[in-house]
Amino acid sequence: MEHIRTMLPPAVLVAMVLIVGLYDTTFFSLSNFETVISDTMSLFLMATGLTLVIMMGGIDLSVQAVASMASCILAVYLPELGFLAIPLAVLGGTIAGLLSGFVSIALRIPSFIATLAAGGLVTSAAYWFSDTRSVDIAEDLTGRYLNWAVGTTLGISNDIWVGAIFLIILGVLLGATPFGRYVRAIGAQERAVIASGINVNRVKIATFMLSGTMAAVAGVMMAARLGSGSPTLANEFLLPAIAAVIVGGTAITGGVGSIWRTLVGALIIQVVRIGMTFMGVSVFTQQIIFGFILVAAVAVTMDRKKILVIK
Amino acid sequence: MALAVRTSKAGFAKWRAWAPLAVLAGLCILVSLFNSNFLTVSNSLRLLNTAAIPLVLSMGATFIILMGSIDLSVEGVIAVTAVTVSLLVANDLTGYDYGLWAVPVAIIAGGLLGLLNGVLHVRLKTPSFMTTLGVGFAGVGIATAMLGGQTVRISDQTFRALSLGRVGGVPMAIWIALSAVIVAYIIQERTRIGRWVYAIGTDETTARQAGIPIERTRILIFSLAGLFYGLGGVLSAAQFGQGHALISQGRLFTTVTAVVVGGTSLSGGVGSVLNSVVGVLIVVVLANGMVLMGVEPYIQQGVQGLLIIVAVALSLDRSRLDVVK
Amino acid sequence: MLPALEMKGISKSFPGVKALDSVSFSAATGEVVGLIGENGAGKSTLLKILNGVYKPDAGSIAIDGRNVEIRSARDAFNKGIAMVFQEQSVISSLTIAENIFLGREEEFLRFGLISKARMNEAAAQELEKVRLKIHPGTLAADLSFSDRQMVEIAKALSLDTRIKRDVTILLDEPTSVLEKKEVAMLFDIVRELKQRASIVFISHRLDEVLEICDRIYVMRDGRVVHESPAANADVHTLHQQMVGRQLQHEYYREEKQAQPSATIALKVDKLSKAGIFQDVSFDLHQGEVLGIAGVIGSGREALARCLAGYEKVDGGTLHMGGKAVRLATAHDAVGRGIGFVPSERKVEGLITPFTVAENMTLACLSKFTSGGIISGAKESAIAKDWIAKLGIKTPSTKTMVVSLSGGNQQKVVLAKWRIAGVKILILDHPTRGIDVGAKEDVYSLVREMTAQGLAVILLGDTLDEVIGLSSRILVMKDGVVNASFNAPAGGKPAQLEIIQHMM
Repeated sequence: MEHIRTMLPPAVLVAMVLIVGLYDTTFFSLSNFETVISDTMSLFLMATGLTLVIMMGGIDLSVQAVASMASCILAVYLPELGFLAIPLAVLGGTIAGLLSGFVSIALRIPSFIATLAAGGLVTSAAYWFSDTRSVDIAEDLTGRYLNWAVGTTLGISNDIWVGAIFLIILGVLLGATPFGRYVRAIGAQERAVIASGINVNRVKIATFMLSGTMAAVAGVMMAARLGSGSPTLANEFLLPAIAAVIVGGTAITGGVGSIWRTLVGALIIQVVRIGMTFMGVSVFTQQIIFGFILVAAVAVTMDRKKILVIK
Repeated sequence: MALAVRTSKAGFAKWRAWAPLAVLAGLCILVSLFNSNFLTVSNSLRLLNTAAIPLVLSMGATFIILMGSIDLSVEGVIAVTAVTVSLLVANDLTGYDYGLWAVPVAIIAGGLLGLLNGVLHVRLKTPSFMTTLGVGFAGVGIATAMLGGQTVRISDQTFRALSLGRVGGVPMAIWIALSAVIVAYIIQERTRIGRWVYAIGTDETTARQAGIPIERTRILIFSLAGLFYGLGGVLSAAQFGQGHALISQGRLFTTVTAVVVGGTSLSGGVGSVLNSVVGVLIVVVLANGMVLMGVEPYIQQGVQGLLIIVAVALSLDRSRLDVVK
Repeated sequence: MLPALEMKGISKSFPGVKALDSVSFSAATGEVVGLIGENGAGKSTLLKILNGVYKPDAGSIAIDGRNVEIRSARDAFNKGIAMVFQEQSVISSLTIAENIFLGREEEFLRFGLISKARMNEAAAQELEKVRLKIHPGTLAADLSFSDRQMVEIAKALSLDTRIKRDVTILLDEPTSVLEKKEVAMLFDIVRELKQRASIVFISHRLDEVLEICDRIYVMRDGRVVHESPAANADVHTLHQQMVGRQLQHEYYREEKQAQPSATIALKVDKLSKAGIFQDVSFDLHQGEVLGIAGVIGSGREALARCLAGYEKVDGGTLHMGGKAVRLATAHDAVGRGIGFVPSERKVEGLITPFTVAENMTLACLSKFTSGGIISGAKESAIAKDWIAKLGIKTPSTKTMVVSLSGGNQQKVVLAKWRIAGVKILILDHPTRGIDVGAKEDVYSLVREMTAQGLAVILLGDTLDEVIGLSSRILVMKDGVVNASFNAPAGGKPAQLEIIQHMM
C-alpha cells in the first residue's frame, strides 16, 4: 500500500506527459518542459509550506490570501525600499502564519476554521496595503530587483532555480532534522509525541509560520512574473495548491508525505491543466474537474483507520 | 425573542448562551448612539432586508455545524442556483421564460449539490471540510461554465419581486427569510432528523447505538442545507437582477461567521437555528454600523475573521477536544 | 420456568488473551443476579457480548429458551436486553424525554412531526418508575450526575411497557456515581422491578452486591469460578473466590528483586485532584517497584497520569532531589526524567507507522543531532544496541513498529525511555495484551532497571502481577490510599489481604 502511495503519483505524471505528448508532439521538447516546470513553480512553492501543515494533520486555508498580501506588499514598497521590499513581503507571510498558528494552537481552534478566519484578516490587510487596487510593478524595477525570479541563469529560468533551492532546503528540513521528524510524528500520532515530552505546540506554530512564509515567497514570485500585485492575485490558487499536495500522495490525515511528492503533484496539476486546455476543455470546466480530483485524491490517500468518527 | 438555550450545566455556559443576544443588544445601542436613524422603522427594514439572504444560508449551515461538520461549498451552490434560475426566467441569454417555475428547479439543483456533498462525504469517508471545499470549487466552475464566463441579466419582473416586492410594507425577501427560519426551526425541534442532528453532534457513538441511521441522516442534512443555499441563490438572483459566478463572493465567510457568532459550537451538538438568527443580525448590524462610522468596506472581512476567532474561542467546549488539528 | 436470559459455553479470545473461557450464565425473571470479579476477570467482555459489541467465538445465548444472535446494541434492546452503562450514554443536548426515546420516536410522530407533549407524557411515566421528579422536557445537560444515571435506568425500563416479554436489565456499576441515599432508592426500585424483570448487577462494592442480589457469580481469568445464592455468601468468602491461584515466584523473577535504596527519587505529598483522588502521599525510592492496586474508579490511573504530566493536579506538592517540582505537562515530566509507559500503547506509547529506530530516539532526538541534522548512523547504532539488549525481535531498525508483536512493541517503548535516560518509569498496565513469554521478558527488564537504580511505579494488569513485581504496594479505594504493604522478596502479602482494602 505504502509503495503504491509512493509510486503512483510519479507514474501518473509520466502517463499524463505521454498522453498530452501523443496529442501534441511539440509538447516533447526540452524548452517546452522547461516552460511547464517554470510555470509550475509558483504553485509548487505555495504548496510546500502547505505540505508540512497537512503532514501535521492540519490544513491552511489562508495560503492564497497570504500570497496575495505578499504580492501587494512587494508591489507597493518596491519603489521605496528596493530589495528590502522582498524580505518585508516574506516577513508579512511569516507573521500571517504566526497568526494562524496562534489562533489554532493557543486558542485551540481547529485549523481549517482558524486559517479561514486568519485568511479574512490577511485579505483585509492586503486591501489596506494596496489601497484596494491592483498595483503595477514598473519594468525597470523588475529588472533591477526581481531578476532573480524572472531572468535565466545557465540557460534555465530562475524560478526553476528558486524552486530547486526551496525543494532542497525544505526537503532537508522535513527529512533530516528533528523539526521535520516531529512534524511527521505529530501527523502520525500526536498523543504519542506529546507523551514523549516534545513541545508539540511550538512545532505546530513553527509549521504554520513556515506555511505563511512559503505562501508569501510564492506571492512574491507571482507578482514578479505578472508585473503587478493585487489583493486577489492568488485567489484561484488555494484549490490547486491543496490538490498538488494531496495528488502528490500526502494524506490529509497526516503523517505521510514529502516535498518531492508535492513537486510531482504540482506538475501533475499543471500537465493536466495544459492537457485539458489543449483538448479544448474550458477553464471553467477545468475548475469543476479539479474540484472532483481533489475529493478523489483525498479519498484515495487518507488513512481511515486513524479517525473513528469522520465529520 | 426566545432563544433556545442549549449548553452544558455550568453557570458560565448559561451566561454564554445568552451572550450573543447581549452582544446584539449592545451593538444596537452603540450604533444608535452614533446614528439616531438607526432604530427607525425604515432603517430596521433595510437591515433586515440585508439580513435576508444570510439568514436563509445560515439556516442550512447551522444544521451541518450542529452535526460537528462544516460546509465550505456555500458559495459554489449559490452560484449554480443563481445562474440556473437566471437562465430559466426571462433573461437576455436564453429563450426560456418559465417564471416562478424556475424557482423550485433552482432550489432542487441546490439540494442535489448538497446531496452530492453528503454522498461523497459519507460514502468516500472524506472529511466534510475537504469534500465541500472540492464540491464548492466545482460549483463555481459549473456556474461559470453555464454562462461561458458571461453575466446574464434578468428581465422577469415577477421573479424579481421575490426580493424587491413588498407585502404589508415589508420587502418580500424578509418574508421569505422569515418563512425559512420557521421551517428550519420546525425541522430542528419537531422532526426526528432534527433531533438526531443533536444526538450525532453530541455523541455519535451513543447515537449509533440507539439505532439512529447516522449515514442517512448526514446525507439528508447536507441535502437540506443545499436546499437552503438554493433558496439563497434564488434570492440573490432576484435581488441583483442578474446571475454570474461571482454573485456569491463573500457569502461563505458571512455564513460561517453568523453561525458561530450566534453561539453554535463547531464541535457540534450545541446551538440552534435561532442562535444563527441572532448571529446574522450581529454581523449585519456590525457591518451597517461600520459603514455609518465610515470604516472602509474591505475591513469588514477582517472584522468577520476576528469575530469568528473570538466566537469560536469562547464557544468551543475544550474539555471535549483531545487533540486539535 | 425457563430463565429469561441464558448464556452457555461462551468463549471469546483476543490476540494474546482468552477473555472468556466457556462461560455459562443465567438470569430469571424475579431475581437479581450479581456478577463480580477483579479487573480483567471478563465481566466487561461478557457485557459487550450481550450488547452486541463483540461476537462470541463459541457458545450460545438464549432468551426465553430460544437461541438468538445479538447483532448490535439496538438489536439487544429490541430483544428485551437493556444496559445501563458505566460510562454515561445520555446525550446532553437532548431533553430527558428525547434521550429515553432516542431512535424510537416513531410512536410519537404525527404527520411527520414529533408530538413533544405525548413524548413528555410517556417519559413522565418512565420517570415515575425511577421516582425522578423532574420535568421530562429538561435538558440532560442540566441534570446532576446521579439524575442522569436515573434517566439511563428509566431508558432501560421503558422497554418494559413496549415489549411483550419480561425484560432483562444489566446494571454496570450503577452505584459508583450515587450517594448513599440514592443507592438505597435505586435498590428499592430494583426490588420493585424484579417482579417483572431479570436484573444483572455488576459492582465492585461487595456489600451492595450481597444486599441486593439473590444469586452471585464470581468470575476470574475469563471463567465463572463460583456460583451461589447470596444468602450463602459473605464478603470474606467472595474475596477468596475472586483471588484464586497461588503466586508463582519465579514467574516474576522474585529472586532478582532489588533492595530499594534509601535515596528518595520522588516525594509525593498530599496530592489531590478534585473528585478523583485526595491527599495521596508517598516516597518513591530509587531501585524500588512501587505497585498501586485498586479497582477502576479508585483514582490510581489518574494519579499515574498526573505524575507523568498528562493531567493536572489541584493540590499537593512533589519533590525531586529535595527541590519542589511541577509536572504540568509531559514535557515537564520528561525533562525531569520521568517516563510513562501507557496502557494504550498504540496511541500514546508508539508512533506505529514510524520505524523501530525512530520510535526509540523520539524522546531525546537532540542527542543524535549535529548541526541541526539527525545522524542516521548514530541513530541506528543505538537502536541496534537496544534491540540486542532487550532481545527485540525485529527484522531491522527500519521496520515499522506496527508490524511487531505487542511484546516487542512494548520493549520498544521501554527502550525509548532507557535511551532518554529517565530515572523514574511509570508503568500503566505494561503487560496488557502481550503474550506470556513477552510478559516474562518485561518482568526481567523491570528487575534489571531497578537493579540499576531506576524507580518504577507499577499499575499492574492483575493483582497477582502487582504483588509479584512490587517491593511495596499502595492500595487505593475511592480516591484515597487505603493501605500500604511491604512486599520484599520472600515475604509477599497475600492477595486476600490486599483485595479487602480494594473493594
